[in-house]
Amino acid sequence: MAINLDSKTPGGSLEDKWSNYKFDMKLVNPANKRKHTVIVVGTGLAGASASATMGELGYKVKTFCIHESPRRAHSIAAQGGINAAKNYQNDGDSVYRLFYDTVKGGDFRSRESNVYRLAEISPNIIDQCVAQGVPFAREYGGTLANRSFGGAQVSRTFYARGQTGQQLLLGAYQSMMRQVAGGNVELHTRREMLDLVVIDGQARGIVVRNLRTGELETHAADAVILATGGYGNVFYFSTNAKQSNVTASWRAHKKGAAFGNPCFTQIHPTCIPFSGDYQSKLTLMSESLRNDGRCWVPKKEGDTRPPEQIPENERDYYLERIYPSYGNLAPRDVASRQAKYRVDEGLGVGPTKTAVYLDFRDAVARVGQKGIEEKYDNLFAMYAKITGEDPYKSPMRIYPAVHYTMGGLWVDYNLMSTIPGLHVLGEANFSDHGANRLGASALMQGLADGYFVIPYTIGNYIAATKIGHVDTNHDAFKAAKAAAQERIDKLLNIKGKQTADEIHRKLGLVMWEQVGMARNKAGLETAIRDIGKLREEFWNDIRVSGDADNLNPELERAGRVADFLELGELMARDALARDESCGGHFREEFQTSDGEATRDDANFSHVAAWEYTGDPGITGAKNWARHTEPLTFDRVHLATRSYK
Amino acid sequence: MKYLMSGIGRKQLMAITGLLWSGFVFAHMLPNLLIIFSPEAYNKYSHALTSNPLIYIPEALLVFTILLHLVNGIWVTVENKRARPNKYEMAPSGEKAPRFQSKWMIYHGILLAVFIVYHLVTFKFGPYYSVTYNGVEMRDIHRLVIEVFQSPAYVGFYLACMVAVGFHLSHGFYSSFATLGFFHPRYSPAIEKFGYVYAAVVAGGFMSQPLYVFFLAGR
Amino acid sequence: MGGTNSTNLKLKLKVWRQKNPQSEGHFENYDVDSISSDASFLEMLDVVNNKLIRDGKDPIAFDHDCREGICGSCSMVINGNPHGPQKGTATCQLHMRKFQSGDSITIEPFRAKSFPVIKDLAVDRSAFDRIIASGGYVSVNAGNARDANSIPVPKAKAERAFMSAACIACGACVAACSNSSAMLFVSAKVSHLGLLPQGDPERESRVLKMMRTMEEAGFGNCSNTGACSLACPKEISFENIADLNREFARASAKERA
Repeated sequence: MAINLDSKTPGGSLEDKWSNYKFDMKLVNPANKRKHTVIVVGTGLAGASASATMGELGYKVKTFCIHESPRRAHSIAAQGGINAAKNYQNDGDSVYRLFYDTVKGGDFRSRESNVYRLAEISPNIIDQCVAQGVPFAREYGGTLANRSFGGAQVSRTFYARGQTGQQLLLGAYQSMMRQVAGGNVELHTRREMLDLVVIDGQARGIVVRNLRTGELETHAADAVILATGGYGNVFYFSTNAKQSNVTASWRAHKKGAAFGNPCFTQIHPTCIPFSGDYQSKLTLMSESLRNDGRCWVPKKEGDTRPPEQIPENERDYYLERIYPSYGNLAPRDVASRQAKYRVDEGLGVGPTKTAVYLDFRDAVARVGQKGIEEKYDNLFAMYAKITGEDPYKSPMRIYPAVHYTMGGLWVDYNLMSTIPGLHVLGEANFSDHGANRLGASALMQGLADGYFVIPYTIGNYIAATKIGHVDTNHDAFKAAKAAAQERIDKLLNIKGKQTADEIHRKLGLVMWEQVGMARNKAGLETAIRDIGKLREEFWNDIRVSGDADNLNPELERAGRVADFLELGELMARDALARDESCGGHFREEFQTSDGEATRDDANFSHVAAWEYTGDPGITGAKNWARHTEPLTFDRVHLATRSYK
Repeated sequence: MKYLMSGIGRKQLMAITGLLWSGFVFAHMLPNLLIIFSPEAYNKYSHALTSNPLIYIPEALLVFTILLHLVNGIWVTVENKRARPNKYEMAPSGEKAPRFQSKWMIYHGILLAVFIVYHLVTFKFGPYYSVTYNGVEMRDIHRLVIEVFQSPAYVGFYLACMVAVGFHLSHGFYSSFATLGFFHPRYSPAIEKFGYVYAAVVAGGFMSQPLYVFFLAGR
Repeated sequence: MGGTNSTNLKLKLKVWRQKNPQSEGHFENYDVDSISSDASFLEMLDVVNNKLIRDGKDPIAFDHDCREGICGSCSMVINGNPHGPQKGTATCQLHMRKFQSGDSITIEPFRAKSFPVIKDLAVDRSAFDRIIASGGYVSVNAGNARDANSIPVPKAKAERAFMSAACIACGACVAACSNSSAMLFVSAKVSHLGLLPQGDPERESRVLKMMRTMEEAGFGNCSNTGACSLACPKEISFENIADLNREFARASAKERA
């Protein structure tokens, strides 16, 4: 089966493409919008803003989320901020600069036209959010405040303390709830999408499980939008929420949606490290801490003295040593990798020896404890709550953790996947961040997609496409529902010995060791083998307690882990096929003599889009075909990043 | 009308009527203390009050407001109980324990309602003794008070009810301000403290009368 | 952090078990040991659940997601306190070092008529969504907004609006209130939007609609005990409730029908 990877980028100069698109697109008559149903899966920033906006336009929107309330989607946990090219600080920012920084930050593996549109829309997002009452930080004169973030030399990040994601999501959620009250959006909570229904090559509906009652439901529509977030939980330990999963995207992938750049994963350098077997997740500590904290490890292996007792000349401030000009503010991927090298060298600290120190001693000496409190008090308090240690007295222990996935379902300029009618927004798509996402850009993309891109492109699709009438009595719905039921029954009837959580932890370990911060050919091949074995283990030895007819978190987890067990292999295959290092993808074979990434623009300046070619049942090996969408850079010059 | 049927509307009505009665009990308590100084002044004050035909207006107002307060209090409490059909095994404690046990409000409230009726029956509609000062014949309410407060049981009941008045006021006073929409980080702690002092003064003032009569004036 | 102070705890749990909304619930006792004092409360429950699954029993159902104290999913009452003994902390951020070995811990769901139990410790808080849907927003369609800096907001006001907007809708206020009132939740949103110029056009209609929806949902009335604020993991101020009372009276007086 050939898949079409035409990006459908409109003509004209980079600056004119989006305007041209909006003028050339087909429109749906306001009175006719009511006749078109659109399904939205997911209610994070992208899903909630898309639902709200399409509801405002008059479409009949059906929105689904796995949570008991749409406001609990994981966008809520984003801390730092949202970028926008407002240039309120008069420091030389512009749409073009934001576009350029994003393409460069992504290590030149994103599509220019999409990124430019994102930058172009970014100011409107701030206007929209402020109009909704999002309480951004302000200056004394009442204007909006900004702060700087990694990868940029201007101050363009808008924020609401360390809870920016929460405030933006509440704005989108409230707008969506207004449409729910107005009857334009039909909200279905505690529903998990288990399959996509494709009829005559078009995405026409979904199968969901009502998580409260266990009932399987089918819903038909003219188009389906997935806004189901990222898949970082494939690593088990990540900063993602416990319910975050790949199932909706994965089901769509197996029904024909190509998966773009699955191996592009962002590892965030400053997280509270792993501490014991009971641990369920990792917690992020904002990147801003590296403004005042210094990263170090003891010079001597096996130094068990408390950090305060290790004298200055026996400490290795490794980031300052290796990157004298950027020091502790080296970008995320670089800082993460260096921490890993230290731990691999046996210099890690803490009881599990898998951490480095982030020390505020000098900053406290410089500005006093009060000065540090003013900047970071909530973060210090959170650290103290989790670890029971006072970071004002002894240094924090931190370690990198999986945070965001740049990869996702492949989409064209319309945000449409390779299945006509199936659109993918936010972190769930692959589109804007290339091989590495800059801080404060995820929120921007989610809202850009939902408020300002999909409302246009969905209209264009509906107006320009012949969409026949189908309802849930169609055989395709019945078949998809039966398949979902069969899978549930199968999971419940294996009655083995291991819980889904146990197998998930094993998968996570393989992923972290072999498909994590540094990858190599042999390791990736091992990973593919090991994941295959784990998958076999899973389908022979899984134990799912409880029944299918009520709230059963174990059953939900098992279904999600089964999909992670397939995705993990695809990630390893993608990493194996990409013989270069770029952004978050670091192949040990492709580095300079001093350990920096070496990109191969001649052979890999493309998006890898994986087509699923296997049986939609349990996967074996060789179930994918790799296709490519070449990336051309008309405006940005390809260059090597250096932070020395 | 919609407002008066709403939860907040009814609570605000309770706050206003409650504050009115908070003022009334003080105005009632203060002249009571005359008993300590002179039976004559006590009776004359009482006479001056009851002989004025305009007294029916405040009396009617008091009856009306206490009924409103009572009815709304019961109504609100029933709603509140219905809002939690299943009880907790344990109550909040430690740092999260609330300062007020407002759930007792309905109980002291009902006790006070009973008390008020009984109080009126005992005194206002009780035995009529007569006394004449300077040729003016008036009710000797002083004698009745002295007689009634000889009974240890009555004094005990009265004192218990006054303790209830104290508790009811101590939460009600502060709470009324919040219900009426007044809360300020600078002033509200002062209002709260004032509420406690006020409740103690009113309750203490009322209690001084039976105690004085029982222990000093009677024998 | 598995630091030098890490110890292992032995605990007696008394947990509310209820199969579904229709069935009668009951308490069940579980003895657990070897719980690290560094584990979070939910991680302690994970350990209990893994054992239950291995023993062929139904694990304890509870809502949770971000485990960073921001999504508002976790919702249990621990020894009488919503989210446990520590102030300003959601259950997921409560750590076992707050307990002593040998402690008995009673774990119940949030109890309120408007929060029916779905299973065990998981409750249905959709009434909160209905309250927001009735008026907890600014009516502005995407594309209508003017430049963000054309609406100046004084820093102090923006701060107060933010403090109110920090509500995570976990429902601890309702759980803690002796009357199961949702006034703190409603007031936080009314204050957040009411303090900002953007919220002004709908100032009156918002408070009336939200309060009416709250009452229809079967929440009780406020009696100003302040238990809600004490239980709130985001420490939303009780001041909001007084402001709500005033806003409601004001809006009622101005209502034309």
